[in-house]
Amino acid sequence: MFHNLLPRLSRRKLLLFLIPAAAAFIAGCASNNPQDTFDTAGPVAEQQADLFKFIFWIAVVVFIIVEGGIIWITLKYRSRSDSDEMPVQTHGNTKLELTWTFIPTLIIIAIAIPTVIAIWDLAEAPADEPSMTVEAIGHQWWFEFRYPEEEVVTANELRVPVGKNVIVKLESQDVIHSFWVPKLFGKVDMVPNRDNELWFRADEPGVFYGQCAEFCGVAHGLMRFRVIAEPAEDYEAWVAGMQRPPAAPTGAAVDGQRLFGQHCSSCHTIDSYREGAYTSEISLQDGRWQGWLADIENASIVSAPNLTHFGTRLTIGAGIRDLDRQTLVEWIEDPGNLKPETRMEEHALVYKGGKANLTNDEIGAIADFLLSLRPVSADAEPTPTPVVSGDPVEVGQAVFVSNCASCHSTGSDSIVGPGLAGIAGRAPGGNADSYIKESIVEPGAIIADGYQNIMPSSFGSSLSTEQIAGLVAYLKTLN
Amino acid sequence: MTTTTLSIPRIWDRPKSEHGIWSWIGTVDHKRIGTLYLITSFIWLLIGGLEALLIRLQLATADSTLIGAETFNQLFTMHGTTMVFLVVMPLSAAFFNWLVPLQIGARDVAFPRMNALSYWLFLFGSILLNVGWFTGDSPNGGWFGYAPNSGITFNAGSGMTFWAIGLSILGVASIAAGLNFTVTIFNMRAPGMSLFKMPVFTWMTLITSILLVLAIPVIGVALIQIGVDRLYGTNFYNSLAGADPVLWQHMFWLFGHPEVYILILPAMGIVSEVLPTFSRKPLFGYEFVIYSGIGIAFLGWFVWAHHMFTVGLGPAATSAFAISTMAIAIPTGVKILNWMATMVRGSIKLTVPMLFSISFIAMFTIGGLSGVMHASAPSDAQQQDTYFVVAHFHYVLFGGAMMAIFSGMYFWWPKMNGYMLNEKIGYGVWFLLLLGFNLQFAPMHWLGMDGMPRRIFTYSSDQGWESLNLLASIGGFVIALGMLLFIYNIWYSRRPANRVEAGNDPWDARTLEWSISSPPPHYNFAEIPQVEYRDDFWYQKYPELLEHEDGHPAPSGAQDDAEAAESHEEDGHDGHGGHGIHLPDMSYYPIMAAAGTTIGMGGLMAGYWVIIVGGILGLWGIIGWSLEPVNDPDPEAEH
Repeated sequence: MFHNLLPRLSRRKLLLFLIPAAAAFIAGCASNNPQDTFDTAGPVAEQQADLFKFIFWIAVVVFIIVEGGIIWITLKYRSRSDSDEMPVQTHGNTKLELTWTFIPTLIIIAIAIPTVIAIWDLAEAPADEPSMTVEAIGHQWWFEFRYPEEEVVTANELRVPVGKNVIVKLESQDVIHSFWVPKLFGKVDMVPNRDNELWFRADEPGVFYGQCAEFCGVAHGLMRFRVIAEPAEDYEAWVAGMQRPPAAPTGAAVDGQRLFGQHCSSCHTIDSYREGAYTSEISLQDGRWQGWLADIENASIVSAPNLTHFGTRLTIGAGIRDLDRQTLVEWIEDPGNLKPETRMEEHALVYKGGKANLTNDEIGAIADFLLSLRPVSADAEPTPTPVVSGDPVEVGQAVFVSNCASCHSTGSDSIVGPGLAGIAGRAPGGNADSYIKESIVEPGAIIADGYQNIMPSSFGSSLSTEQIAGLVAYLKTLN
Repeated sequence: MTTTTLSIPRIWDRPKSEHGIWSWIGTVDHKRIGTLYLITSFIWLLIGGLEALLIRLQLATADSTLIGAETFNQLFTMHGTTMVFLVVMPLSAAFFNWLVPLQIGARDVAFPRMNALSYWLFLFGSILLNVGWFTGDSPNGGWFGYAPNSGITFNAGSGMTFWAIGLSILGVASIAAGLNFTVTIFNMRAPGMSLFKMPVFTWMTLITSILLVLAIPVIGVALIQIGVDRLYGTNFYNSLAGADPVLWQHMFWLFGHPEVYILILPAMGIVSEVLPTFSRKPLFGYEFVIYSGIGIAFLGWFVWAHHMFTVGLGPAATSAFAISTMAIAIPTGVKILNWMATMVRGSIKLTVPMLFSISFIAMFTIGGLSGVMHASAPSDAQQQDTYFVVAHFHYVLFGGAMMAIFSGMYFWWPKMNGYMLNEKIGYGVWFLLLLGFNLQFAPMHWLGMDGMPRRIFTYSSDQGWESLNLLASIGGFVIALGMLLFIYNIWYSRRPANRVEAGNDPWDARTLEWSISSPPPHYNFAEIPQVEYRDDFWYQKYPELLEHEDGHPAPSGAQDDAEAAESHEEDGHDGHGGHGIHLPDMSYYPIMAAAGTTIGMGGLMAGYWVIIVGGILGLWGIIGWSLEPVNDPDPEAEH
């Protein structure tokens, strides 16, 4: 209808160029890109997209009038020869100018009203609808997800039930990141020292792409994640699974478990299914971070993604690749090949000098072990730690790798807790057996200088007598 | 004027030469300084463009490993910093320098040596900013330098320290230039030229200068804070020590948004000169255009947080900043409609500068429309930090500011150099730049809405952004071709065989600079002109037009005249009649003070002895300068 405002001459030109351009814009937006902001799957993104479209169509009208006007004026009033008459020297027209001050004002008011309504609408999740809360923490360059109510910790893949409002508390451990899943919600920044939050709801199941949207350092471009929305019962099953242990490793994975314990477990927790593990993981993660900050140059421990039930993940490297054995092997061998300057490669001892100082077989074994980390089926007998009978030292070593190695090295390196080489010699009064046993069962009783009282006190009940005896026997062998 | 007996020993004699390198080093002539700005910032334009091409090469394909992540981050940081601080701002300064004294009928700016100081600080500061390319440690925290990512913990190299120090030096240059032009425009107008008879370009220069003086100190404070955070471990922005990193964003954008208008208002001034000239009609609604410019500059102070809609300001602040931002669309829209109305019923000559100015309106409008989309905060939550924003501000700064600057180049080149730029080649330059620009930046609207974030050094093929990125990269090379053709245009046009003399007034233009020879003589005006009308030169040429006014007599309020004449007498500038042309003598002290300042500040990173060397040199320059008379005593002069 606005065409009528323009003379005949320009109308065809406008139709020829401008309408197809606008149509192409909308068509281009209706692609099936995984981060398409128009292909919305929830109310937040939908309201944001609707507002955009409303302004867009107003803009199209203005665009056609102005651009069409420019072309039309230029063609119509261009001088055809040097002898053209001098045009009338108009200086202005106050009425006209007031009119075109007034009209944009009206347009702006028309846009401002739905804008302000949407700002307040989207500020908080509707209070009368059921909701759940998760915490998302930005790290250089990955996302940590905590479910405080469910006591689940995971990384880079946020699982949520379809149809339920999710309130996300946004934090950052280091620099500013921004949390964004285009199909579900526009971004909100994760700012250190500032409590931000957003909310969203996925109205249909699916795997939605997310990506950090605030420049956060070298590997900003490779800081991605997924939101996995699934029907409520699948989600519940996943939460329950996260609280059961994995099946005992078999084949090469057994070796992988040992190697993981030696080289990876200082930074990556894999046993957050344990009772009380949620709290300890939070303090562990903080301990790793503080340790890194205290001595960035020499730190060999960094805060790192929790790998509990890693075998159930879809992606690796903060959502940058689909997870399969081949990619996992590549990643372990040389993470820098897939992502520059990861903290892992910069700091972990096993990467000293660049690539992993491991044989191909060893890397394969670690990959097999990680891929084997899936919860045992719900009706299986709970087996918190693999039971190996026989030589107590062997039993103890297995127990150590899966329970203790996240925080304690077998050398003199301090991780979160002290290194345990020569622990037997440190026993007050020389009674190594009772000293070590007491430290396991009642960790708060003796705290080494410079360490915090953060070791879980649940080992006395979660480990069998045979396991504790084995652990003591194993620890005594460390020199 | 009495001869001072106090002076510090000179190693060199005061420069006198009118030719050769020393004549440039010691110059205080606004035209020469304008040329220095023009050449320097054009070289930075080529370097910033090269950085953009490397960025586009890296992003042309998915999963590209052509350029590493670190280098990529340095490239986009320096591309942004270069284009804003080393290209668009100083190119505007080049036009200020060249044109303002000519447009207001003055022989130089108010403080010629300070003008030279501004240029040398700009040159040395810009070099300091780019030192990192040779040490492999260029600034890499983005042109916006967000804390704490720009802090020492997360950014241990020296790049961001160079950045903070380099920008501080540029800031001093900008404040000095802003003061200089404000004083020049207020005090040195030819008799009769009241404020509302000034050319629009001079008006926009005045508004920009005031913005510079007010806005640059804000970033100056922030840069000092982040500089001492990095150098001496203070905690202004150290979030690990409890600082709120959002404070940096407030400081940066409180400067950064007026800065946007610092970049665009001179461009608006240029098109406001070009459009009337080639429509052969006065600017439609002169007062509305001026007041809109003032309105934009004023409102520009109340919108900074629209850069921070996703940082968690809360709905009340977000609503306020959304509305204030939208309000800026009103004066901007007024300007666009006035420019269009200027062309209506004109006799439009589609010269190269005119085509660039028309393109400015067309492209700037697109940038303005996407700006309104950003102002709507909930919609912006999807667009913030995506390629949609990249498209938006390139439509404003390239489609807007750069198109206008090219318009100005083609328009005033004959005045500056005495010969015309070849028109046929010029059409080619215009076509390639406009085509390449749209090829490169239009697809970015789609990329942004398809969820591509800014500042990512690579993307993966499963994200579906490949074809549009390739298109954008091709567009980048078309722009590069246009730039090469522009250089060829200059080379071709200045060859004696192709040289077309410009004469005083090749475009049949309207303002005072066209009344004198091209290039203008050292002293500009042999006789200071007496101004009666707005576009006075135009009515001198066409006095009959004064009678053809459609009820709007060309403004010539007697009251204004009296006021202007009065203010003119007060400043003691040589008055009517033009006898006794006095121009300031050349001086080495500005470059010495600038070099000392740069070495001293750069020395903060190098060691105390460098600071001492720089400090001595700087103080020597400043003291020598303050004791040096504007003019050495001339034995023949009687004052």
